[in-house]
Amino acid sequence: MADELLEELEEEEDAQKGKFMTFQIGEECYGLSINFVQEIIGIQPITPVPEVEDYIKGLINIRGKIIPVIDVRLRFKQPSLEYTDRTCIIVIGVKSTVVGLVVDRIAGVITVDEKGIILPPSLSQSSSGNSKYVFGLVRVDDEVKLLLDPERLIRDEDTTALEDAVSGEDVVA
Amino acid sequence: MGEDFNTDSMLDMFLYESEQLLENLQNVVLERKDEDCFDETSINEIFRVMHTIKGSSGIMMYENITKIAHKLEDVFYYLRESHPDNVPHLELVDHVLEVADFITAELDKIKEGETPDGDESGIVSEIDKFLTNLKSGISQKGEELPPENTYVEPSQFYIAPTGAEGSKYYKVSIYWRSDTQMCNIRAYTAVYSLKEIAEDMQYIPDDIITNESSGDVILEDGFHMLIMCQCSKDEILSTMGETSGMERVEINQCTKQEFEMGFHDQGAEPIIIELEDKEQAPAEKEKKKEPAPGDYVIKSKETGKGKKLAKNTPKQQPKQTYISVSVEKLDSLMDMIGELVISEAVVLQNPDLKVPGLDLTNFQKAAGQLAKITTELQDVIMSMRMMPLTNTFQKMNRIVFDVSRKLGKDIELEVIGENTEVDKNIIEHISDPLMHLVRNSVDHGIESKEDRIAAGKNPKGKITLEAKNEGGKVYIIVRDDGKGLNKQALYDKAKKNGLIGNRSITEFSEKEIYQFITFAGFSTKEQVTEYSGRGVGMDVVVKNIQAVGGNLEIDSVEGAGSEMIMKIPLTLAIINGIVMQVGSSTFVIETNAVKEFVRIRKDMVIREPDGDEYIMLRGECFPFIRLNRRYHLEESSTEGEDGIVVVLEHENKYVCVFIDKLIAEQEIVVKPIPSYIKKVQGLSGCTQLGDGSIALILDIAGLIAGEERK
Repeated sequence: MADELLEELEEEEDAQKGKFMTFQIGEECYGLSINFVQEIIGIQPITPVPEVEDYIKGLINIRGKIIPVIDVRLRFKQPSLEYTDRTCIIVIGVKSTVVGLVVDRIAGVITVDEKGIILPPSLSQSSSGNSKYVFGLVRVDDEVKLLLDPERLIRDEDTTALEDAVSGEDVVA
Repeated sequence: MGEDFNTDSMLDMFLYESEQLLENLQNVVLERKDEDCFDETSINEIFRVMHTIKGSSGIMMYENITKIAHKLEDVFYYLRESHPDNVPHLELVDHVLEVADFITAELDKIKEGETPDGDESGIVSEIDKFLTNLKSGISQKGEELPPENTYVEPSQFYIAPTGAEGSKYYKVSIYWRSDTQMCNIRAYTAVYSLKEIAEDMQYIPDDIITNESSGDVILEDGFHMLIMCQCSKDEILSTMGETSGMERVEINQCTKQEFEMGFHDQGAEPIIIELEDKEQAPAEKEKKKEPAPGDYVIKSKETGKGKKLAKNTPKQQPKQTYISVSVEKLDSLMDMIGELVISEAVVLQNPDLKVPGLDLTNFQKAAGQLAKITTELQDVIMSMRMMPLTNTFQKMNRIVFDVSRKLGKDIELEVIGENTEVDKNIIEHISDPLMHLVRNSVDHGIESKEDRIAAGKNPKGKITLEAKNEGGKVYIIVRDDGKGLNKQALYDKAKKNGLIGNRSITEFSEKEIYQFITFAGFSTKEQVTEYSGRGVGMDVVVKNIQAVGGNLEIDSVEGAGSEMIMKIPLTLAIINGIVMQVGSSTFVIETNAVKEFVRIRKDMVIREPDGDEYIMLRGECFPFIRLNRRYHLEESSTEGEDGIVVVLEHENKYVCVFIDKLIAEQEIVVKPIPSYIKKVQGLSGCTQLGDGSIALILDIAGLIAGEERK
């Protein structure tokens, strides 16, 4: 009883809770908590930046703001695909970092019951490239969606954290 | 203070006003610090500031601030009333600054959402001692002590609310300027300050604290009080005369009956009018009988009796013409204007307009107008980011004062060109380095008094702080007439610390030797003092200055003083750049760094076995960078001879960069590369071009450093 009451309260607190933006990379369907999503834009010219990781495609300009763009395919170590007019950029904000994610196709918004989220089996941790970004799986209409942790998604593997990048801001030679 | 009210909106006003007042206070104090005593104006000013802070912090229930402000107010009350002539001025200055610092620290805590819990008792008892000494000094001389300015207990000055005989009755009406905000709170401040002298009082609207909309009523009809007290009008006026934004104060004496009738026994609304009629009658009578102390209406622009208010108004007026806006908002406004310019280009050069046979005369006219406005908008936003250095320089005043006092040196600070304007971002970055340089000058530069006298100099040291615009840069100069730098000592020290290897002193120019002090791990001062000399200073200073694209030059004449010159760009945000293309990428290079463009033949390029390339130009050899290879850019055609070589210079080092073609020279708005992308050597930022695409800005220093590292 008490648990249910609590849950109800929480739901009232946050209408966005449990809502996930879903998109497709190849056959797989991924979900991203809608709290992080700032906007979705069509693909646009990306200015490449030299000497960076290959999954960082470069910079785009959104109304005067310059933000970096990641190709999620390359991030998952899948072969890149030519961009079409279905290709979209999801702009997400994690802490103070704003990043654009290039995805094959936007699928829609789903509401997920928190209890329905299954943790990924820990065995697969090292085997496939993308599971370290996935914090849970959920089944919606007989289709499994992989829920992504945006922080892990945009974080660099070897460097420690986002905070590093933030503190590096003042290094303008 | 039984009233209960919401302090949220008041808090902002309290913080803002108190900060302004404290700033004011510091300026007054520092202006007078070299004189023997405070003149009457500044005593009144300090008294006024402390009184206001006491009052407002009392309303906000910040007890420690109230106490400390009250204590200082006591001192100045005493000074004002009895004009003692044996005031230890510097000690007094110290106390005032101490109190100002304490209150500032407490305000900071409040701003952070913490409770102001600083312990004021130490300072209060210090000041108490000071005040007692002052008074005993006077009583020894047999002069009469003025009445105590006691706050808690009734005394000769503050009269307890007893219906003593000889009480006078006044009707006080305050009118605020129509743009004044939160009149109800200002009115309450007046009530609060008058409570100290009033035996009894009433006011309408009487719900000023609980009802926020009463502020509007006050704006419209004024704020009316009935006061019973034993003071004169002047005292009433001076007690409450500090609330800002007042337009007019009317004080009329009235009868006991009128007072007792008060605002009661009638409905609230119509009374206001009735009252005015009633009050005007006796006032007019009085005017005829006895014009001098009679009715006086003070308008802020009036002279004469109105001075008390008029004196305050000019100081407050400039403040009201400013509002503070966060830099973030300005930045986003600038972004939007940048976008606007681009959208404008998209509209005006829209292919739809190219349909043959269209009559575009009116369109072109309108387009011209639009273009003019957007250009102007850009200028305005840029000028909004420019701020004078005045505030930064004023801070230095305080530092010179503090440090020189503690070191027992007598130093005068001269400030030149404080109105020079610099981009806001840059000001933030240079404040710390400047502070360090000034401290250094006070601590290391200026000699002790004895040494100065022995050297035949004026025992009073002098530090000059100068700012000027020159050649698109701002020069900020810290000059002292101290002992200057000793080249041999600098050289020995640098050698000892292993900073320069084994090179002999003759290999360095004078300026190079002076630059030694900016090396990390160099400090000529043997003793570490509280203010400087930890040996971590100058290299950090230089780094900070370089971070905003500036540099530090040092000049000195031994025995006569030294000069530190910061050269800083006017703005970080906009540079003149040359846009160029390499493959499908666009790059920008700051125009100032470009020495020349050359077309080359293949035989001018010399290739080393390890792949490094050089180029021979007029018999000189320069490092040669193919940008496409350096940055692994595809689709570039710069293998052949159809490209262009750009010769770049940075601090007397040269590098040649090979590009595909030049596009344009234009003013560009510099933006940082998002921090998410790791720093790439040779790139310092990015910018948005006219068509909305992004270009990367090349950092010459980084390119050269990259070459040297190889």
